[in-house]
Amino acid sequence: MDIVVAVKQVPDTSEVVDVIKIDASGKDIERGTLVSKINEWDEYALEEALQWKQKLGGTVTAVAAGPGEWDDTLRRALAMGADRAVRVDEDATVIDCSAVARTLAALIRRLPYDLVVFGAQSEDFGSAQLGPMVAEMLGIPHAALVIRLQVEEGEAHVERELEGGTRELYTLRLPALLTIQTGINRPRYVSFASVRKAREKELSVMSLDELGLSPEALTPAVELDRLELVPAGKRAQLLSGSAEEAAAKLAEILRDSGVI
Amino acid sequence: MALTEYKYSDVIHRCFRCGYCKFPTSFVEVNNCPAYARYRLESYSTGGRLWLIRAWLNDELDWSEHLGEIVYSCAACKNCAEQCPLPFSGDIVDMIVAAKGEMVERGSIPSAVKEFLENVDRQGNPYGTARSKRGEWMEGTDIEEYRGQEFLYYVGCVGSYDTRAQQAARALGRVLQKGGVSFGVLGNKENCDGNDVGKLGEAGLFEALAEENVRQFKDLGVRRIVTLSPHAFNAIKNDYPRLDSAFEVLHYTQLLRDLVRARKLDVSSGFNAKLTYHDPCFLGRWNMEYEAPREVLRTIPGVELVEMERHRADALCCGGGGGNFYTDFLGGSEDSPSRIRARDACATGASVVATACPNCLTMLEDAVKAEGLDDRLKVMDISEIVSEACPPKGN
Amino acid sequence: MADILVVAEHRNGNLADVSLEMLSEGRRIAGQARCELLAVVVSKDVTALAPRLARWADTVLAVKAEKLDHSLAEPYQKALAPVIRERKPKLVLLGHSSFGMDLAPALAVDVGAPLASDCTSIAMENGAITVMRAIYNGKVNALYSFARCETAIVTGRPGLFAVEEGQERGTIEEINLPVDEKVERKRFEGYSEPEVSEVDITKADVLVAVGRGMKEKGNLQLAEELAGVLGGVLACSRPVVDYGWLPPGHQVGLSGKTVKPKLYIALGISGAFQHMVGIRGSKAIIAINKDEKAPIFTDAQYGIVGDLLQIVPMLVKKMSELKR
Repeated sequence: MDIVVAVKQVPDTSEVVDVIKIDASGKDIERGTLVSKINEWDEYALEEALQWKQKLGGTVTAVAAGPGEWDDTLRRALAMGADRAVRVDEDATVIDCSAVARTLAALIRRLPYDLVVFGAQSEDFGSAQLGPMVAEMLGIPHAALVIRLQVEEGEAHVERELEGGTRELYTLRLPALLTIQTGINRPRYVSFASVRKAREKELSVMSLDELGLSPEALTPAVELDRLELVPAGKRAQLLSGSAEEAAAKLAEILRDSGVI
Repeated sequence: MALTEYKYSDVIHRCFRCGYCKFPTSFVEVNNCPAYARYRLESYSTGGRLWLIRAWLNDELDWSEHLGEIVYSCAACKNCAEQCPLPFSGDIVDMIVAAKGEMVERGSIPSAVKEFLENVDRQGNPYGTARSKRGEWMEGTDIEEYRGQEFLYYVGCVGSYDTRAQQAARALGRVLQKGGVSFGVLGNKENCDGNDVGKLGEAGLFEALAEENVRQFKDLGVRRIVTLSPHAFNAIKNDYPRLDSAFEVLHYTQLLRDLVRARKLDVSSGFNAKLTYHDPCFLGRWNMEYEAPREVLRTIPGVELVEMERHRADALCCGGGGGNFYTDFLGGSEDSPSRIRARDACATGASVVATACPNCLTMLEDAVKAEGLDDRLKVMDISEIVSEACPPKGN
Repeated sequence: MADILVVAEHRNGNLADVSLEMLSEGRRIAGQARCELLAVVVSKDVTALAPRLARWADTVLAVKAEKLDHSLAEPYQKALAPVIRERKPKLVLLGHSSFGMDLAPALAVDVGAPLASDCTSIAMENGAITVMRAIYNGKVNALYSFARCETAIVTGRPGLFAVEEGQERGTIEEINLPVDEKVERKRFEGYSEPEVSEVDITKADVLVAVGRGMKEKGNLQLAEELAGVLGGVLACSRPVVDYGWLPPGHQVGLSGKTVKPKLYIALGISGAFQHMVGIRGSKAIIAINKDEKAPIFTDAQYGIVGDLLQIVPMLVKKMSELKR
């Protein structure tokens, strides 16, 4: 079974990392001090693909549409166990998902695939659009937010995550596209040595030209006007002091509230 | 890797389960292996762990989160290596590390370990806090950046980011200044020393960290290094490649001992307390340095040094090694080694337990609180004790 | 005609809350832009759903689809694409729910309309549509505008827009969907409900919720102690369930449970919207987090910025002392 996994590299903006700053253009964040990582959802998607490759045999190809720095994430995918990786050289600042979808669809069309998997959304922009858009462009059925997957005999049995913990069950005929939700599996660790060894695996780069895409074809239909910082901690009354002092204040508030 | 490819395949089956690895020399307690102390199950003692590793490498046992936790619960304290009567005893901890290495290469490790390693890779510390915050511990001090001074003061991750350990980092800075030592720090440019990364089995990442650090030291012209943490001391002294530059590394208690002997450090204000000293594993058993900290403490007027029953090579590990200060496989019980150690310290009648390691400092401080002993027993780093014993400037 | 079309989502005979929110928002935008509001629902039985939609919409397009009991993405896409091409609404609105995520992107490509998802505010002025979205873990707001286009699709963040139910006003237009005989390439197999866990967090007055900030499973014990001394129950955010620290029954949020306790203490939870949606009804929210920029501090009444592994034991101690 041939599986194609789309991956993305994002800046690490999780809670313990430094404060984000908007850059001079007002349309991007300052990336200087930020470290890059694989998009968390894509890690789960890759792990799922690799587990199915282990069970059913076949190949896993990792693909991305992004700049040269994203090769780090593709190498990581190769180190995890993907057989080959292909990157379409594209500016990371393309934020219109339909343009990125067109690029990825053009690439994926040239690859053999029974199953295409995307992460359900990305950590940076979180639009959750790419997967189903690509499916529509490829003309294959799709299911978004898959939390459980069983593949057998040309069909994918999936559970989609709905609100409140309910699941929606589907059977999709392959080839199909799935977007993967976190928690579907536990992604494996990728050791330093394995990333080094993965340099032997194939990572090819293609240009938009080679895919027959012109920059005009990728004009965005949605434009980013500007970014604004969300004001921090505006509403909560922050209790100050040492751990002991703050805890003492809070304990009194709780007692006085009458809730306890 | 099949068992036949495992580096220690010729000896791993030779443990005959004598159980010595669980005891100190005096046999006074059976819980001198910190993981065994916590769980009291053979699987968590070194002997049991080795047999499980053998079975796993031999495909008799499947990997599971539970097996991963058992193997990773080893704090790399070396009590087993110290006590094992067999000829390969010196290799025992390396056997466990090699098994962890195999788990790392297969990608099958407990999620807390995965986070630890990924955080070090991305942000240079296991907490995952931004690199740009590494130098924040220095705020309010006049400690200088390293610019070719005699010593590089290497702080390490715990001292840089943990709020309690930061106090020890600052205290040591003050003491070094009082002692007239010419030193500087790397601040935000400091990277993880990698000691615990290596003990967690990620040899590739350890090598990369070691190489980067050595290159950095070389480029800055570093000749002498003094570390806050015995973990960094151990890695830099024993495991770092030297490339073509030679540098000397000391743990800070060794430098303080030298200063005290040369009468360069004035501790005449003294420190009045009956105190006991907890030997850190990476200074004690790993590097056989039992004397320097004690000599420093003994020269402080007012200090009455009493020993815990298990001390020096018999010291019970605080349970913070092998990444456990973060992954916490040994916590959550009154049988946690750190809590047992807190009780040991209290039993001496001492009012202060002195540490020489930021990991021990944070582990024991939490343990003393958990035991409800914080009204009777204070946990202090030697750097803090010495800092209090130094007369204020201008005296 | 510069109309607004709201796509109604329904399940088990009920309209989804997010659809009521989008209808209300659609009504407000239509009022300001002085244009018509249309609502479309696709179902086997439209007689129950359509009249409710008419309280907001000027016209309800009630599409009868013989075999469709609930909102499912593919049948909806097949029904909506011709409707959109024919009616050419300026703006199509639906919720950024699981259903919305499955439907909207594919529909957008199908009809060639640009799409903005999970929007926190929507405006339409002189035919120009602008939206705001939260990005980078909710720390940055991004303002987008649509280039010249006939139709734009926008999905709105659930739980954000106020519901204002109107009076009976709209006409209902019934449309019959031709039966599609083609073999389904995506066959709906039914729903599965979450397992009932022993703990029912929706009934607790006090919840102590743990998140990623607890760092490892062993630390959950601290939260349990706090729950014990407060007479509460343990809850958690999604990552805690993903990591296997707690079973799914404890999860609060969009894909978990919605809770309305008197007191909600969030330990090491950043406050991502998927979680906050589940606790909006709480009387009091208190947050303890290392990061002062964490979004949770905008919803909490009180907060402590610091190391929860130090603060929580202190809090347990102080509470025990006060109780004596």
